[in-house]
Amino acid sequence: MLGLVILSSFISIILIAFKTIIEPKLSHTIVLSMGIGLNAVILFVAFQAPDVALTQAVIGIGISSVILLMGLKHLGGNYES
Amino acid sequence: MSLKRTIPMTTVSGFGVSAVFILTILNILMQNMPSNIYRAGDELLKLNATDGVANSVTTVVVYFRGFDTLGEIAVLFIASLGIGLMLTNNNLNNISQENSNFMLQIGAKLLSPVIFIFGLYIMIYGHLSVGGGFQGGVIIASGILLLLISSNGFHISHKFVEIFETLAGVSYVVIGLIGLIILDSFLGNFLPYDISKMGLLLSGGIIPIIYIIVGIKVGSEMSVIVDNMLKRNIDD
Repeated sequence: MLGLVILSSFISIILIAFKTIIEPKLSHTIVLSMGIGLNAVILFVAFQAPDVALTQAVIGIGISSVILLMGLKHLGGNYES
Repeated sequence: MSLKRTIPMTTVSGFGVSAVFILTILNILMQNMPSNIYRAGDELLKLNATDGVANSVTTVVVYFRGFDTLGEIAVLFIASLGIGLMLTNNNLNNISQENSNFMLQIGAKLLSPVIFIFGLYIMIYGHLSVGGGFQGGVIIASGILLLLISSNGFHISHKFVEIFETLAGVSYVVIGLIGLIILDSFLGNFLPYDISKMGLLLSGGIIPIIYIIVGIKVGSEMSVIVDNMLKRNIDD
């Protein structure tokens, strides 16, 4: 069961990362990178590193994505990569 | 149309160089099998029990590598200072003066106390369970972000937050210097730490105190960063 969770997280990290690269809108890219961080949290918990998982959830997903979105708003909104 | 394609010389040489590199790394790894590698981390984790702290990660981050944590806080302070300098503009006004969604206002009133209590728990119990000062401070800053974007007339006073931040930074260095005077090592554990009290809230000597100080400093810095980033141009 744990192996299945780890395998699905690995596969979804790779798929979301590919989607993040080919996504044209920058704001969508930031939200997709939050998905990569979420799967990384599942992997950290599965590999018994709860401290790293909490740090990734709070800093990697939460505050840094919000700061990136606010910076994108300062740049003027509809940027395309 | 010929199927034979000409491969550029740079691609071939790149592949060659990477193959040599990978073979070298594999050669080094084969010679030093894991049984021969000296495990420095295990020696440190054996020392962990002598400090009476249940969470070994906290011991490593705050005690064995306490000076690195001081440097990380300094880096965060410089980042906060840079964002403050970059966004200083008279044309910017605060977003909290505008009206926001009704659902967001009610949800922020409901959720923000829970977020603050959770952040304080993570901060204070950092030496017993997962988390610690960094994570707790950022959780508190995200609660302040929720209050700021919900515009219940909430604004943080920069002077008040700066006093908090300065006191936390100064007390970190002062605790380190007291350890230097008493025990001849910077950030020495000069308070009593009994191994029999491992797992209690008051255990581990100065380690929980330092993690709470780190939490206050990180929380105030992240709040200032978020408040500076939320300001927007009047022209928009």
